[in-house]
Amino acid sequence: MNWIMVKEVAAREVRTRARTRSFRVITGILVAAAIIGPIVGAVWPDGGDDLREVTVGLVDVDETTRQQIVAFAEGSLDVAFQDYTGVPPAAVDQALSDGDIDVALEAGPTLVWNRETDFEIAGVLFAVLQQQEVLVKGRALGLGPGDIAELLTPTQVEERFADEFGESDEVATGVAFVGLMLALNIPILFGQMTMMGVIEEKATRVIEVLLGHVRPRTLLLGKVLGLAALGAAQLVVVVGGLTAGLLLTNAIDIPASVWQFVPIILVSLLGALAIYNTLFALLGSLVSRQEDASQVIAPVFIPLLAGFLVANGALVGDAETTLVKVLTLFPLTAPLLLPVRVARDVIAPWEIALSLALLVLGVGLLIRIAGRVYEFTLLHTGSRVSWGQLLRLSRGATLD
Amino acid sequence: MTSGLRVNGLHKRFGDIEALRGVDLEVPRQQLVGFLGPNGAGKTTTMRGILGLVAMDAGSVTWDGRTMTEEDRHHIGYMPQERGLYPAMKVHEHIAYIGRLAGLDRQTASRRAHDWADRVGLADRGNDLIQELSTGNQQRVQLAVALVHEPELMILDEPFAGLDPVAVSMLTDVMAEQVEKGASVVFSSHQLELVQDLAEHVTIVAGGQTQATGTVADLRNRSNHRQLEIHWAGEVPSWSPPDGAARDAPPGVSRFVVPAGSDAAVLIAQASAAGPLAAVSYEPPGLDEVFLELVNS
Repeated sequence: MNWIMVKEVAAREVRTRARTRSFRVITGILVAAAIIGPIVGAVWPDGGDDLREVTVGLVDVDETTRQQIVAFAEGSLDVAFQDYTGVPPAAVDQALSDGDIDVALEAGPTLVWNRETDFEIAGVLFAVLQQQEVLVKGRALGLGPGDIAELLTPTQVEERFADEFGESDEVATGVAFVGLMLALNIPILFGQMTMMGVIEEKATRVIEVLLGHVRPRTLLLGKVLGLAALGAAQLVVVVGGLTAGLLLTNAIDIPASVWQFVPIILVSLLGALAIYNTLFALLGSLVSRQEDASQVIAPVFIPLLAGFLVANGALVGDAETTLVKVLTLFPLTAPLLLPVRVARDVIAPWEIALSLALLVLGVGLLIRIAGRVYEFTLLHTGSRVSWGQLLRLSRGATLD
Repeated sequence: MTSGLRVNGLHKRFGDIEALRGVDLEVPRQQLVGFLGPNGAGKTTTMRGILGLVAMDAGSVTWDGRTMTEEDRHHIGYMPQERGLYPAMKVHEHIAYIGRLAGLDRQTASRRAHDWADRVGLADRGNDLIQELSTGNQQRVQLAVALVHEPELMILDEPFAGLDPVAVSMLTDVMAEQVEKGASVVFSSHQLELVQDLAEHVTIVAGGQTQATGTVADLRNRSNHRQLEIHWAGEVPSWSPPDGAARDAPPGVSRFVVPAGSDAAVLIAQASAAGPLAAVSYEPPGLDEVFLELVNS
């Protein structure tokens, strides 16, 4: 391989693509969003405590009960009251039916619902009524206020979670989600750029001039690496902007554990760029016109979308299924699964190493196959190369 | 040993189509050879075969008497029929890029890019994008791209197509300069008058086979016909040569096509007996007629 030529081809790709208006606009928007996003998030009103607002209708209920309800609901419900004392039962029913109140508490005590019991509200009201009942029965049994208070002291129950999800997990999941979105979108953006570049070279016949001086494999590698480098540069700029935005606003305290897996996300993204750029370039060489690209592009989206869907599921659900583990090792889906499993902390170091090694091997193998196919398809014009022909070429056969 | 390019017995089949059925072509060093043929004759396929862009089924391509290697091909300058340029690259940048791919160092490639842009008349357009240039100017860039590495062999596929007379003149000058400097040049063209004026040797292909090859004069002399043109001093008489066929002619002039073996002196004597002559020419047909004879046969 002539690496000077590879570098020359790669440099051309970077130069010409980086100065296109579309690339500059997209990069500008992404960087602006990365910097402004955290700032907007920091200054935007947060909308209060987000407690559920409920309205309780009271019929012949005293002030003490009202205060007890408020006290019991603290931290879970934002309770308002409407007094229906002296109001006919039909009017109370109408208020429930109209949604003016969520429940009516009648002396007795009776809870009146519209159709179904709302267990969240019922939990609070039952607790209040239960406490009142204990007070009444305790007094009847001759218990003093101290005894009753002792009886009503809530049991201290410690909680333990097998799958603890703390604040640092939230940040990690957020970072993994950003990584996942990048792993889906960046290969599509730069892959399509690669594909259009290949088709342009065929359509303008500049390929005939180029192949007089460089081998198809050199050309392919230069193009793939050049655009991967451009993608990585864009990524660094965007992530830099995001970091700057976060530091400026001090919006999120990113735990050290999160920074530890950011490099793995970046390596995965580089792998995604390399493998998908190669795949897009290979498929681009099968057609001769840009308007025919849609005929060959579909196979790329199968692993990308499958990987995205499984990774997205693993982000919030079970990240240790066999499917998730297998797709973590498959080079075309690994860049999407790796960040998620690392963020969920459900992957062994040897799995990370194996996944990355297979990704590198996959890129190498695909470049080798693509180079072989490229030699024949680059100069093929007219009808597109069929999938059967592609299969034969990838096995080393030639076409007429 | 033949010095320069020699193509021998090229065969190429694309599926059911036999594109080449035995093409021979010789382009000696420091010669300018016209490569002629009707559309679909196999010219472009032959050129791509020489460049190694298409693998041949049979035949050989040699340079200076040995099989042409990949290294030899780095010394070829190629101008494809359909212009091959990146629309979004700048003129200087594009020429220098191809120079780099051809093995020039950065400084040399840049210097030559400026020199060639000047030479093809685009000195003030160096920073323009290719897509901003007219078709004719894009062809000038294409020529500069083909020449930036000072190739030993130039292969130009329809280089004159779409060029204005000024650009044609510039291109013919450049081709002659390159031959003068030691390069071999082969070019295809349908502008046969231009080929007749420019090329020393011509090879004509049709149906995927070489039909004739030689100097322009040779090919013309090989024709079975001659053209007799008589400018009469007075009224045009009704005379015509015994085996001749009349052709359209302007007033006061008669044109005939006669067999190549005809005795010119006898014909002139017969004509002067029919009426007073102002001028007479008797010569082989032009390259265009030779071409048509060969292709139609």
